[in-house]
Amino acid sequence: MEHQSLTQPVGAGDVRSARGISPTARAWFFLTPSMLFLGVLIAASLLVLRMSVGTKGAEWSGFSLASYAQLLEPYYLKSLLLTLRLALISAVIAVVLAIPVAYTMSRLTSPFVRRIFLAAVLLPLLVNLLLQSYGWLVILGPGGMLNQTLMGLGLIKRPIMLLYNQNGVLMGLVQTAFPLAVLPIASAMRGVARSYEEAAATLGASRFQVFRQVVLPMSLPGIITGATLVFAYNASSFVVPLLLGGRRVPMLAVMVHDQIAPLMNWPAASAAGVVLIITTLAIMTLSEYITGRRRRLLEASQ
Amino acid sequence: MSALIKKRQSLLPGDTGKFAGILSGIILFLAVLPILTMIVMSFSGASNLDFPPSSYSLQWYKAAWHTFVSPDASDVLSLGQAMGTSLLVACLTMIFATLIAVPAAYALTRCEFRGKGVALQLMSLPLVFPMVVLGLALLLVFDSLPFHMTTSRLVIAHVILALPFVVKNCTAAMLSIGSEVEEAAQMLGASPLRAIVDVVVPLMKSGILAGMLLAFIVSFNEFTVTYFLYTIDVMTVPIWMYSRTVSSLDPTVFSFAVLIVLIDFVLIWALEKLVGEGGVSF
Repeated sequence: MEHQSLTQPVGAGDVRSARGISPTARAWFFLTPSMLFLGVLIAASLLVLRMSVGTKGAEWSGFSLASYAQLLEPYYLKSLLLTLRLALISAVIAVVLAIPVAYTMSRLTSPFVRRIFLAAVLLPLLVNLLLQSYGWLVILGPGGMLNQTLMGLGLIKRPIMLLYNQNGVLMGLVQTAFPLAVLPIASAMRGVARSYEEAAATLGASRFQVFRQVVLPMSLPGIITGATLVFAYNASSFVVPLLLGGRRVPMLAVMVHDQIAPLMNWPAASAAGVVLIITTLAIMTLSEYITGRRRRLLEASQ
Repeated sequence: MSALIKKRQSLLPGDTGKFAGILSGIILFLAVLPILTMIVMSFSGASNLDFPPSSYSLQWYKAAWHTFVSPDASDVLSLGQAMGTSLLVACLTMIFATLIAVPAAYALTRCEFRGKGVALQLMSLPLVFPMVVLGLALLLVFDSLPFHMTTSRLVIAHVILALPFVVKNCTAAMLSIGSEVEEAAQMLGASPLRAIVDVVVPLMKSGILAGMLLAFIVSFNEFTVTYFLYTIDVMTVPIWMYSRTVSSLDPTVFSFAVLIVLIDFVLIWALEKLVGEGGVSF
């Protein structure tokens, strides 16, 4: 982006001033169509906010904080804590698994292997979550692959229950959000020049030391971004707890839907939705703050 | 001596060790395991969900084909109709998302203007916005409108969801061009608009195509938001499949699923060919 600001004002600038349109107006003119769609998103979220302080029956005119008070009841509070806990654990596991994959991807030389790797990373992200959950049903079921393997190894005598409880949901969450951890970490690691690694190796560092003391710290912003994305994505995960958890793992997003579909309680659904938005935005802002500081420190030290 | 140097070189970092390579291979295999399992199950000859299947046959493909050709009277909607809706929504999403993303990408890369930070933040908002809340919010909006929308409300939702992907890819493509070509065209007498349409857009063709493909994939596979917005006579393939399996898992679904995964895989492969590795931006 920087190299353009050197040339751009000279050439395009006089064309613009000749027409008498300010650059800001021109830019926003180009942005208008997309802003219309994003405007729908903003307006819709404001409606949710308004709805959350409404009362059931008089959604648009009433005002009460009853829906928020309801969220503090043990049942809902447990659901909120469950959501945060599963999102946090899945983010940690996904990042730990993503680091070796991202490192390998960023250092691959064969174009064909690289494409296979990227396809394997993109498939879980882009293929319909519903279809992947069907696959999980087969893997986790009582006569499924995992139980067969464990029994074959003699680790368990009878099939253990993996479906419709937190373990199954957690596995599903890690697998479906895993690409969101790999992509930012891989791009951060690609940005770590090989000369640093070579310098460290020349000074006698072992391969593992190079990885732990050079590559990992330098790609920390990518790792934080990846962890945040997985956390935010899984905190509002809907399909995985719906299909793999049955109704026994009531994560917040499933509760939002349940409040509408059988209960028709729009204010309660909206209040739970507002909590989801605030959680997501807070965690994103925090991570932006941390990575921003970290990046500035890195840039200053180079 | 040369053997020593060779040994030393093989220890140099640069390419990853065997250990890391094998480890990441295993992790990636686990990541696609649910999809692979589904593909194997679709060839099952048994009627239960035990894995591995006791025998293999094409019975579920035959059953699936039968459902496709002569839909049950009990089904509210045939798969053919659902497929039609899915393709229509995905194509419209692709076209609209691209048409609005190209000018937006132009503004974000070529212009310095007030509010640019805000615009950039807004552009990536749909990526992190909880999908369930998006579904709920859009349902509130569309239900309070005085007129009925069916397919169009799915398209609007999908365009919002796909927009960040398309904008990111177009922006990346535009950044790689540089503004000299545009200035040259303008010096030779082209109007600013003509310089964009005839010079810049053709040059960033692969980025635009990548964005279009991503928009198509996102829309074709979208479930959560659509689940809030579908109506009984307009549903997409994922919703159709869910409504079919909500009570019990019917293995014919696996053969439909294999078809969808196949389409996705071809699209992703084409995407990678277009933009090269590292080019797909999220």
